[in-house]
Amino acid sequence: MMALQLFANALALGAAYALVAFGFVLVLNATTAVNFAQGDLVVAGGFAAVALAASLKLPGIALLPLVMLLMAVLGLGLSLAAYFPLKSRSPVPVFLSTIAAGVMLQNAINIGFGPEPRTGPPLIASGAFELMGVVIGRQALAVILVAVLLYAGLHLLLRHTRIGRRIRATAEDREMAAALGIRVDAMVALAFALAAASAGAAGLLLANSFFVTPTDGGNYMIKAYIAAAIGGWGRIGGAAIGAVLIAMFEVLFPALPTLLPMGWLTGFGWLFSQTASAIILYAVLLGILAVKPRGLFGERAEQRA
Amino acid sequence: MNRLFLAGLAAVAASAAALAEPAEVNMPVLVPLTGPVALEGTSQQNGALLALRNAPAGVKAHYLVMDVDGSPEQAVNGLERVLSRGPVSAVTASIFGPQMLAMLPIALERKVPLITISGTTDITERGNPYVFRFFPTDAVAKVAHARYAVEILGKGRPALIYQTTAYGQSGATQLRANLQRLGVELVFEEALDPTVKDMLPVLAKARDAKPDVLLLHLHQAPTALVIRQAAAMRLGLPIVAGSAAHSPATAALLDPAELAGVCTETNAAPAAGGSPALERFLAQYREAFGSEPDGYALGQYDGVMMVLDAAQHGAGNAAEIAAALSRSTYQGLAQTYRSDGKGNMAHGAIIMCYDGTGRVPRIVKSYENVTGVLAR
Repeated sequence: MMALQLFANALALGAAYALVAFGFVLVLNATTAVNFAQGDLVVAGGFAAVALAASLKLPGIALLPLVMLLMAVLGLGLSLAAYFPLKSRSPVPVFLSTIAAGVMLQNAINIGFGPEPRTGPPLIASGAFELMGVVIGRQALAVILVAVLLYAGLHLLLRHTRIGRRIRATAEDREMAAALGIRVDAMVALAFALAAASAGAAGLLLANSFFVTPTDGGNYMIKAYIAAAIGGWGRIGGAAIGAVLIAMFEVLFPALPTLLPMGWLTGFGWLFSQTASAIILYAVLLGILAVKPRGLFGERAEQRA
Repeated sequence: MNRLFLAGLAAVAASAAALAEPAEVNMPVLVPLTGPVALEGTSQQNGALLALRNAPAGVKAHYLVMDVDGSPEQAVNGLERVLSRGPVSAVTASIFGPQMLAMLPIALERKVPLITISGTTDITERGNPYVFRFFPTDAVAKVAHARYAVEILGKGRPALIYQTTAYGQSGATQLRANLQRLGVELVFEEALDPTVKDMLPVLAKARDAKPDVLLLHLHQAPTALVIRQAAAMRLGLPIVAGSAAHSPATAALLDPAELAGVCTETNAAPAAGGSPALERFLAQYREAFGSEPDGYALGQYDGVMMVLDAAQHGAGNAAEIAAALSRSTYQGLAQTYRSDGKGNMAHGAIIMCYDGTGRVPRIVKSYENVTGVLAR
């Protein structure tokens, strides 16, 4: 029964991580540069939700479109400040400029909201379902559902709309896209906006269950980076799967002694501590990169990072 | 004769003028307002500022505030910069242990007292006579933590969840030692990285060990996450937490019902008031900063106030202030302070509990003079 609770928690966390990773790969595809501010955009989304909930008194589900819109505007601003002035240079200055933008964002949030953790608005009314002794929070289920819908929506946008095809064409080959009359700069700006909007959505989804502090961004950035590495640097779907795998590992692996009450496991309790789990996660990542440098579902790894 | 009379008159006039001149205290505030301990650093800053603005009669306080972020390099640079600007009476120095350790050699070389609320045990174990800590170390606080769980709650099968940071390791070591002295062994313990978000796995494992009380020694957000998820999974165990749980910022993250049965050790409970002086502090703090003070703010307030008190009683420079802090006893708002010879000034801790109806805990037990220093 505990397994079901843990699985629901892991899926909710993974769904939110997937939105972070999605935006991360979107910018990576469009620019061949890593947006190191992606984690701080998650935090910005969380704090936007906190601020809007305080003034509008609405549940998270009603605030979600507004948060995504605000974050899309912030993403456009980020592209203008951190990408376009350096777009003709190598990716390294862009990495640095996005790191700088992230630090600026983090400190601006610190000045605006203070350093204390905040709790975001619940997505829907709080409560839990109880079935045969298993308690599963309604928030976790709502987070999973909303994240899946958002992911599906973004997937449809990219795969089945003209603007989506143009963004993907830009990501595939900018020169060719420009030759075909696609406004490449506009598509890159749109990629930044979409990335920020999905990061902001993740921030809103995470802020109620796990709180949000101005310094959380680094952790989310690392998760997105690992997800992209596992899933394949250029593949949005792969990154989403990578993000869910990370969350599953984070939640389920340390709980194995509880889930599999086998005698021999008790002697290896240290192996299932959270600290050891983190070591194992990174060791697995290194193993994957050694065996499959392009990620589990990847391509074009050598062009990235 | 006339000349002698005039000279005497001039001397009297000069001493009267000197008497009327306020004692000047220059006390920079070097605290982390950004980075990983920004929350605690902000409390520290607020407590110091309130004390400096409340300087006692006859003392004029000068100060500047410098954010030293979270790195030792920033702390060292900040200290070098303020010391290069002219004579400094004392420094409000970072709550963050690694930064304090980096600043200690400079303070020793320049003979400037550092007034801190950092909990890192090691900072007062290096024989540096220029560090003064106005917050109980883990060696004091964890005595209260362990004794309350075992002696007052009557528990004998504690589980411990703590942070992997230096803060967490230090508290866990002291808790283990104190529980052992009380004849109790931990039935479960695990360290968590501060970035861990889902506490259900560790809580599930702790529950499997069949403890009768859950001890926490975590930073603020992880403390709130454990309390919330323990309530959600209906763990049904009393929780005795580290000082993070007493903070109004932590309580604000939780519903009062989730806090039912949660107790916390700390140095003081400013938000609960209790004396006219504390009520005045509380009112001033709310007006100045628009938030509720915690024990960190109050500890730093007391520390700066002791410096200002020393200046009021004639300590005119850094060396005299250090000497006064080393020898004097000072009655602060949180507790009575006296150095144990190493710069540990605070010797008591309290236990506070939430009753499930509000976010302000009440004091249920005081452990005074744990080290015996005040009785000497």
